[in-house]
Amino acid sequence: MSSGGAFGGNRGLRPVPPEKGVFPLDHMHLCDLDKKEYLNCLKTAGNKSEICRGFSKKYLQCRMEKNLMAKQDLAELGFKESNAESPAGKTTERIGDQEQ
Amino acid sequence: MMRMCLTGLAFGMGVLTIFASPPLYRTFCQATSYDGTVTRRERVEEKIARHDSNQTVTSREIVVQFNADISDGMPWKFLPTQREVRVKPGESALAFYTVENQSSTPITGVSTYNVTPMKVLTTEEYSILYNRIYFNKIQCFCFEEQRLLPGEKIDMPVFFYIDPEIEDDPKMNGINNIILSYTFFKDKVSEE
Repeated sequence: MSSGGAFGGNRGLRPVPPEKGVFPLDHMHLCDLDKKEYLNCLKTAGNKSEICRGFSKKYLQCRMEKNLMAKQDLAELGFKESNAESPAGKTTERIGDQEQ
Repeated sequence: MMRMCLTGLAFGMGVLTIFASPPLYRTFCQATSYDGTVTRRERVEEKIARHDSNQTVTSREIVVQFNADISDGMPWKFLPTQREVRVKPGESALAFYTVENQSSTPITGVSTYNVTPMKVLTTEEYSILYNRIYFNKIQCFCFEEQRLLPGEKIDMPVFFYIDPEIEDDPKMNGINNIILSYTFFKDKVSEE
């Protein structure tokens, strides 16, 4: 990540790398189908991310299955099964631990 | 306790304007350890869980548009795959860029990014937005070398999150459009 410091960015502010690091490139196009479904959804949904969340989730799940993304419960990244089901109990507990 | 927290803020972020923003201050102090060590930035999962348990409701629709640049002499075609993504703060969102190596040799590129709103900001406002307090890149293709074979064409994802706190910050009033810009540079270090 040494190249991150080489770019001054605008007004001398240094860019900060993404939280979870880099997405490996999908050279074999393993998740192209899920990507296309998401992009097609955006086109029909006025580009509203909210409407196409199911497809975003599927794409990220594909990446995880093909080892193109570290495996993680997508509920933690904002993709819940339904509004009723909430992982708040589990994650709140974890935050409580970290605050100690 | 409070004094240590303030110290942690200034040391960790280097942006004194944070003190002027109560919601941010509260958020940040929750992530600070009280033994005076350097502030740890709250992770996006923690933000998501916190807003989930608070049942935060957001209403602002932010239009995220995309810009793609290449440096001189970089024989790549580099474009955003979608024109825009409309997202509410608090929703993690996905976007893509398409890259194609149009040359006859393998090329390695490194990208950096920039975030600008479509509104003229003061330096202070800009530094708040730019310092990813509100715009969080969860994962993307930037900052590391990416190598494309001749003729190879790939879609590169960006997974991001706009912090709901943006709606509470008066300095961010009227920010409804954000442009995410990536620039690819040819990586001179790795020779093929």
